[in-house]
Amino acid sequence: IAKKNKEQKMGNLVEEYFEAHSSSKVLTSDRTLQKLRKRRLSQQTLHDLLKNAPLAYAAEIRDLNQQHESLFSKWMLQLHLGFNIVLYGLGSKRDLLEKFRTSLLQDSVHLVVNGYFPSITVRSILNSITEEVLDHIGTFRSPLDQLEFITKRFKEDSSLELYVLIHNLDSQMLRGERSQQILAQLSSLPSIYLIASIDHINAPLMWDHAKLSLYNWLWYETTTFNPYVEETSYENSLLVQHSGSLALSSLMHVLHSLTLNARGIFRLLAQHQLEKKDNPSYPGLSFQDFYQQCREAFLVNSDLTLRAQLTEFRDHKLIRTKRGADGVEYLLIPVDDSTLTDFLEKEDEDV
Amino acid sequence: QQIQENLNKQLLENLVSFLSRSHSDFQEKTTEWTCKMKFREIPAAALVLGVNVTDHDLTFRGLSDVLQDNITPYVAMLEAKDCPGIKNLMQKLMGQLMNCEIDVDSLEDEDCVQVSQNRVRCSMPSLISWYDSVTKKTDSETPSKKRNSSSRHWQSPPVVVVFKDMESFTTKVLQDFIVISSQHIHELPLVLIFGIATSPMIIHRLLPHSVSSLLCIELFQSLSCKEHLSTIIDKLLLTSQFPFKLGEKVLQVLINIFLYHDFSVQNFIKGFQLCIVEHFYSQPLSVLCCHLVDIKKRVYSLSHDQYENIRRLPSFRRYVEKQESGKQIELLTNDSFLKVETKKLLEDLHVYHENYVRILRCLHVFTSSLPKYPLGKQIRELHCACLENRVWETEEYESSLQLARMLNKTDLVTMLQQCVEILMSSSGKEFDRAVEKLKEFLTQFQNLEAEASQEQDVSISPQKELQKKTDLYHLQKTLLELKESRRSKKLTKFEMLRFEVVDYIDSLVRRYLVPADERTLHEVVYFNGAAVLRGHLNAAPRTALHTALNNPHWYLKNQALRCDGGGISNKAPDICIVYKLHLECGRLINLVDWLEAFSTVVMAAEEPNDAASSDQVDDVIHARFIRAVSELELLGFIKPSKQKTDHVARLTWGGC
Repeated sequence: IAKKNKEQKMGNLVEEYFEAHSSSKVLTSDRTLQKLRKRRLSQQTLHDLLKNAPLAYAAEIRDLNQQHESLFSKWMLQLHLGFNIVLYGLGSKRDLLEKFRTSLLQDSVHLVVNGYFPSITVRSILNSITEEVLDHIGTFRSPLDQLEFITKRFKEDSSLELYVLIHNLDSQMLRGERSQQILAQLSSLPSIYLIASIDHINAPLMWDHAKLSLYNWLWYETTTFNPYVEETSYENSLLVQHSGSLALSSLMHVLHSLTLNARGIFRLLAQHQLEKKDNPSYPGLSFQDFYQQCREAFLVNSDLTLRAQLTEFRDHKLIRTKRGADGVEYLLIPVDDSTLTDFLEKEDEDV
Repeated sequence: QQIQENLNKQLLENLVSFLSRSHSDFQEKTTEWTCKMKFREIPAAALVLGVNVTDHDLTFRGLSDVLQDNITPYVAMLEAKDCPGIKNLMQKLMGQLMNCEIDVDSLEDEDCVQVSQNRVRCSMPSLISWYDSVTKKTDSETPSKKRNSSSRHWQSPPVVVVFKDMESFTTKVLQDFIVISSQHIHELPLVLIFGIATSPMIIHRLLPHSVSSLLCIELFQSLSCKEHLSTIIDKLLLTSQFPFKLGEKVLQVLINIFLYHDFSVQNFIKGFQLCIVEHFYSQPLSVLCCHLVDIKKRVYSLSHDQYENIRRLPSFRRYVEKQESGKQIELLTNDSFLKVETKKLLEDLHVYHENYVRILRCLHVFTSSLPKYPLGKQIRELHCACLENRVWETEEYESSLQLARMLNKTDLVTMLQQCVEILMSSSGKEFDRAVEKLKEFLTQFQNLEAEASQEQDVSISPQKELQKKTDLYHLQKTLLELKESRRSKKLTKFEMLRFEVVDYIDSLVRRYLVPADERTLHEVVYFNGAAVLRGHLNAAPRTALHTALNNPHWYLKNQALRCDGGGISNKAPDICIVYKLHLECGRLINLVDWLEAFSTVVMAAEEPNDAASSDQVDDVIHARFIRAVSELELLGFIKPSKQKTDHVARLTWGGC
């Protein structure tokens, strides 16, 4: 009966999949965050707010963590017996690993890799091994060469031991096939002990049989319920202001330092873009048209001055030029419409 | 721990030796073949190795050792991950060949220098010139300095290139290499060996006709991994050599992982290793898990606490309950008495194992030839069945006995002979009687044969009579008589004997194949943590996340979190609430609605102590929402979508 139940459940799952993907039309409301009339929080304010908010169930979480900490000595034993340890479960395992490091690895050579750090690469891991652990100065042509060198050194010198702790082995930068291959080979060395944590639900898809056998994992479930503070601080969330793209504040800031005419030129372009915002195929304002309009508004007196002005805008990433199919240059402001509307309103207030 | 490491080592050595032995005949064949090849085309051997890629390493290592010993010093192993392009391949090849050369000949520094220089430009011509110089060197040198006598007649030993994983090489690299080397085959005698995981079809799929026509391929098949498994189980579990044993559930888990997941012998061994570690780590009495000779010493060196541990064992308690009261008190209070008793029990346990294995094999001889295999074809299935519960109480055992009662004589005799052999090999006196009995059976059978031939003589005569007499009446009469006699014929002697044999086997089974759970002190040598093992080897991260998000009460023991049914209490951690809300959506989720739903739920939870300005609270809730959403994004449940502004796409479906 249990089996039958399971089968039925499986059938349901399949059906659910097709149900979810049956129609391309998705019914959701059209409300957007802009209409919510709430300022977007910046990374800093978010951090401050969260720091003040009390963490729920602190006592229970502490109990849970203590339970995991009692496994530390077992982990050590198993690491020494040639297994590598991988932690999974909900919640940040950063503190746990950190505790493991401070309590047991203080005296031994160890390397901590913050996988969630957006600019980490396998190269940098290998570099830190060769440079700091093996004291080797010099460069390698490829990571494979470097790996070979490391392997050779560790095989020659049996006294070398290295603990590698990787937070978020499944992060964006490390989940590639090649980097996993290299890490797997590294972890298969008998004197390198690897202990890593994964979070993504599909993380085990990274490994095929060959890699799994190189990694020689022992799985441990360590559900901690700790918030992912460090890990998500790099995750560009939708709700947090992107530092990369233009925000209203930076737009205002740049424009306030320009001449009146330059501001007028930008305004003209913005207005034009907002008028056409309902037309999805709007390619931007062509340079010739724009020149004509600017001349009519007495903002520029020659082709050259406009071009100089546009170059300045471009340097500040206020506009983007695109060449259309007919070779004509089109100008666009790479800011979403709501920000642009806000900007124009603010401008009107100022004037 | 020391014992355990010893045990571990012993075990691994045993395995490795076994594996290399099982590969050896296969390797022999390959090597022989390599010897015989002439240089017409590029000779290539395709080894079909099966999908358990992880085990192949050992095979290749053994192969290269054998090759180096017997035929040629020049063996290079190439792996697909090292060779993304033809240049890397050549580099790797050169490097390995030259290192090989140094390894085997252990030549002096000058060669090393040469090697490092050569690494810069690796091309076929330089490889050939190197080969020429090496062969010249070996030719010119005295025979004593040459390779072993077996390869002396080789004027130019072939260069063997092993492609470990044919499937993962890029087609272009492989084709290029084959074409290039085919052009130099006269100067450089190459032999290629492909390791194939799937089927030989892959060669034709990877290589176009123009390239594969350059090869002269011979196919070699390796043993299937299932056979490996049976031999390993045979060697590891069904011997009395290792004191450590696996419980039924654990064995089942390991076999299931093997059969349903990966076919990898190495993973099986890893699981076994883990069992050992776990057993010696968690069970305080595992010190007593040792060979018979050490038991006495270990038992006498136990501390009082450990005796207490013994007393706490469930199987020991059962044992105590069966004793009379005077002995019970002694056992529970007197350490030194317990000491003697423990020793005796442990020795009993060892004797039990020895007997168990023998009888198991005997039984296997019987059951493995029955039609439809009611008790399983492999000995491991029988072993599991015996460990699980009393085997003679199962239906399968009943049916197999019934089938056994219908066996014909020749089969029965050969089986009995096999059983005798198995029992003879045991050193203990326990089976003398059994052996004698079986031998007796055998002689009876032989007698029966003799008798049968006599009987035949007798039975021929009526038939002769039949032929003689043509009288219709007489014919009818004799036929009727014959029929009558056949019907009323009592069981022949043979049939009687057959019943006797089967019953005897049955009695043996009942005596010796008692499941280990019922033995006293079995906890010392049996490892039974199947759940632990499964958790560590065959984990399900997704399920863990699912339970943590759906049912935080499972982890956080707080009364407020307890709720029944599919609902979730509004006091759950933020991420659980957000997750629950997201489950209710379709493929796309509107962030604003989501936020509002979240804040409604959270506000309801916080209402009682709502005093602060609502704006402040709003901000905090907003921040908490952002955190929870980005955590879900990190976990891979949602991803930002460009389809619609301020929407995220759900990556899972259904209820998880």
